[in-house]
Amino acid sequence: MAEIASVQLKVGLEIHVQLATRTKMFCRAPSVACREFDHKQSEPNSCIDPLVLGLPGSLPVINREAVQMAMMVGLALGCSIAPLTRWDRKSYFYPDLPKSYQISQYDLPLCFDGAIDMPLPGEDGRVNWDDYDTKRIGIIRAHLEEDAGKLLHEAPGGLPIDYSIVDLNRAGCPLLEIVTHPDFTTADEVVAFAQMLRNICRFLGVSEGVLQKGHMRFEPNINTVITLTDGRLVKTSIVEVKNLNSFKAVRGAIEYEFAEQPKRWQREKVEMSPGSKSTRGWDDVKMQTVLQREKEEAADYRYFPDPDLLPVVVDKNWLEQTRASIPQLPMARLKRYIDDFGLHAKEAAALVDERDVCFFYEECIAAAKQAGVESGKAGKAVANVLLQSGAKRANERSAGASAGSTEQVLISDLGIMPKQVGQILAMRERGELGSNAADELFGLLCEPGQAATDAQALAQQRGMLIVRDDAAMGRWCDEAIAQNAKAAEDVKAGKDAAIGRLVGAVMKLSGGRADAAGVREALIKKLRG
Amino acid sequence: MSTIDPGAPILDTRERVTARKVSAAEMARAALDRAQALQKTLNAFVDLFPDQAMEQARAVDARIARGEPVGALAGVPVAIKDNMSLAYGRTTCCSRILENYRAPYTATAVQKLIDAGAIIVGKTTMDEFAMGSSGEHSCFGPTRNPWDLSRVPGGSSSGSTAAVAAGIVPASLGSDTGGSIRQPAGLCGIYGLKPTYGLVSRYGLVAFASSLDQIGPLTRTVDDLAAMLSVIMGHDDMDSTSATAHVDAMRDLHTPVDGLTLGVPRQARSTANTPGVAAALEAGIKTFRDLGARIIDIDLPHIDHGIAAYYIIAPAEASSNLARFDGVRYGRRAQLGPGEDLMALYCKSRSEGFGPEVQRRIMLGTHVLSSGYFDAYYLTALKVRRLIKNDYDAAFKQGCHAILMPSSPSPAFTLGSKTSDPLAMYLEDVYTVGVNLAGLPGLTMPGGFEKVTDNGRAAELPVGLQLVGPALGENTLLRIAAMFADRTTWHTRRPAI
Repeated sequence: MAEIASVQLKVGLEIHVQLATRTKMFCRAPSVACREFDHKQSEPNSCIDPLVLGLPGSLPVINREAVQMAMMVGLALGCSIAPLTRWDRKSYFYPDLPKSYQISQYDLPLCFDGAIDMPLPGEDGRVNWDDYDTKRIGIIRAHLEEDAGKLLHEAPGGLPIDYSIVDLNRAGCPLLEIVTHPDFTTADEVVAFAQMLRNICRFLGVSEGVLQKGHMRFEPNINTVITLTDGRLVKTSIVEVKNLNSFKAVRGAIEYEFAEQPKRWQREKVEMSPGSKSTRGWDDVKMQTVLQREKEEAADYRYFPDPDLLPVVVDKNWLEQTRASIPQLPMARLKRYIDDFGLHAKEAAALVDERDVCFFYEECIAAAKQAGVESGKAGKAVANVLLQSGAKRANERSAGASAGSTEQVLISDLGIMPKQVGQILAMRERGELGSNAADELFGLLCEPGQAATDAQALAQQRGMLIVRDDAAMGRWCDEAIAQNAKAAEDVKAGKDAAIGRLVGAVMKLSGGRADAAGVREALIKKLRG
Repeated sequence: MSTIDPGAPILDTRERVTARKVSAAEMARAALDRAQALQKTLNAFVDLFPDQAMEQARAVDARIARGEPVGALAGVPVAIKDNMSLAYGRTTCCSRILENYRAPYTATAVQKLIDAGAIIVGKTTMDEFAMGSSGEHSCFGPTRNPWDLSRVPGGSSSGSTAAVAAGIVPASLGSDTGGSIRQPAGLCGIYGLKPTYGLVSRYGLVAFASSLDQIGPLTRTVDDLAAMLSVIMGHDDMDSTSATAHVDAMRDLHTPVDGLTLGVPRQARSTANTPGVAAALEAGIKTFRDLGARIIDIDLPHIDHGIAAYYIIAPAEASSNLARFDGVRYGRRAQLGPGEDLMALYCKSRSEGFGPEVQRRIMLGTHVLSSGYFDAYYLTALKVRRLIKNDYDAAFKQGCHAILMPSSPSPAFTLGSKTSDPLAMYLEDVYTVGVNLAGLPGLTMPGGFEKVTDNGRAAELPVGLQLVGPALGENTLLRIAAMFADRTTWHTRRPAI
């Protein structure tokens, strides 16, 4: 009996992205994935209308905003866009599906045949931005459909009930289903791809990508190829893990199946075949997958074209408009920051990680140039101030946020405006502001009510600007020498190292306003004549 | 005893109401009274809405009193089929599953009636979910033909047709998926129009077969038919299949069509026609010839396949459209015994809620959409549908203004005579389904009478003739019908009820 010699993992990914349209896919009820939607404020079953409820006589009307967003994602993933795309009904009974059919796209998806290069993570699961390989991931299709509602098995507040209740707020929200080829060979790759996709969606403005809110859900199709000691290859039957809503769960489910499938095959000897596919769920506590449906009985969804909807025709005009509306994507920005601004890979990666931070960064660059900062230096200078003064404060605020809140405060949310950042950098470049004063000024401008403040005026008012006054410099130096007689003697005696103490004293006495570059010169002149 | 005729023609009533010779309230009262008086006899209504109707009528009267402009149907009592949503009362589709369902919104076509000053007297009976050709498949019992109470009025718009034929209202709304306006109109001796697909919004119409369903008017005169159509048609943003094109229904209504050419399909002179229907068709042809029309023989080679294609496409869509009646959110929910699960909830609610004809069509439709059968049935039926449309297009290319044929092969049959034979019932639609499959307008007009004797009982029953036009050809159809009405008296005869 041949033993297992090696096991190779094979994963394809299905991703559901809730598109952040204002209204639902086929009606005017507000969508829960919309940026402005407040989950805490909305009662269950409040975002509904006759169509969401599946009331008789209601009719679907296409939301073109959703089609537009889906096309943007498709284009970003290198897909072709179908010039004519149709809507089909997928029929099954479930209490969260009000019409007992889901409007979806069966044989004519909006986006198809795409591919995207992803940076491969290293051994530690992270991409080494200084040196990485890429892998091309094929996209089979990306189609639009409507979301289902939510079935709840306990009453609000966690009260036990012996029946189920339905919340249809999510029902009918536009959902983009993206299906990749089974091109992934490690869990790290899948997670890296998922993160990249989330970032792309955020940059496109089609989703906030908050996984806890269900903005994106992942369903990996996992199997393994086992090489036996006698050289024979065995493909284990495919397991689809449903509805994963965190990267941790995606990684966990894939790693679990990678380890488990060879054992399962040894026990049950079931190989991949049509109909051998099973569906499993993920238990976040036990960190295990759990069987939901054995052997996918070739589920008969009785797809047929929805007679209530006309096909969507994407003409050249619309397609080109959409293409033109796509902002530069994070990977391209990362490359630009490194090549054009001279940023370190790590710095660039930190700036493209969040769409809002990235857009803020670029606004600050524009403002800095406007304020007179030399064009070639602005990118690097803004990166420095945001990743130092900005990141420090964002981290402090995140840590200080009320306990239990996982909200990360972003550099772009601190309150300081791009124009103010630009002014700070211009003052720095003109030699009017010391580095400590710059950081302090940055902090002041992050405080509430400072959005309209002129940074230059504030620095002036607070006496933060460097003083170019020989008399004042003379006074500060004299006082510093008087306070540090020993150090002054040492400097006189030619010990250069001792001058630091005196410089520090001058800076302190001046409240940071002394021109740091001139202090040393002034002291030496005084002490050594 | 009121001397007000609630069924008086629309234009007369509107004129009298605006001239304050009669009040809208008196019109409403008269219609409600007559509906009430005939309810036991005809069973034309599911519900009457005396309070809301009187309120609507008083609102019209108040506007007139203030000298404000009123709509085209000011003070005109109308009835609507109970598959159209109305924000008050029930919308039952004459099904147990919706017996207590109340729609929270009003269908576009109905709202247009209300906005035009019409008074909604009540909701009319129908074959359950508009599936049937006799009015017998209703959970509220059969509707009767005002010409002979032992006979069916046809269906599925049975109550809307009976109410107009009996002079309760001058006009009503029906819906026509395979003939449900035109066939009963013929059997009850009135006018009925199925507009071009998309001309009237389906928003709020409980869907039977979405690609075939159209709302249309039933009336006793051509003018009323045109007046009703003018009010209810028009683009609706809430219906994606709603047409943006415009039809001027009233234009030159009484000007004869110049150089009128009518096509008569070879297949319409079928041996399946009863002698009276055959005679009415030939008499109709003669009348048009006398009017100077050119009559040409045409061929609709696929008309016989229409029934087969229709009974695949319509049930397929119906099985999907009716899947939402699952007992979860609204409508009938079965009581479950201990240990019974979700599947039992679905099965019991739907088995209790749907009548046998509806269940038959749901099963048929589910079958033809199933994997393995989809291509053989559904896709083939779609191909036949295209061939049928091509047949009609070819006929119109030959220069026909319209096609003339019977609205059904026989006059009204006796209650119960076809209920045990679904296929015989389906053949009632042989002349009508093709028009829905092709999306064309079809108009039924009173075309004669046939003397029949059943079980020793003699009766004289109306026979309907149908005019089919090219897409958006409603105005021409109406003008041809007006020409015919000027030369015949069939439309002036009234049942003795």
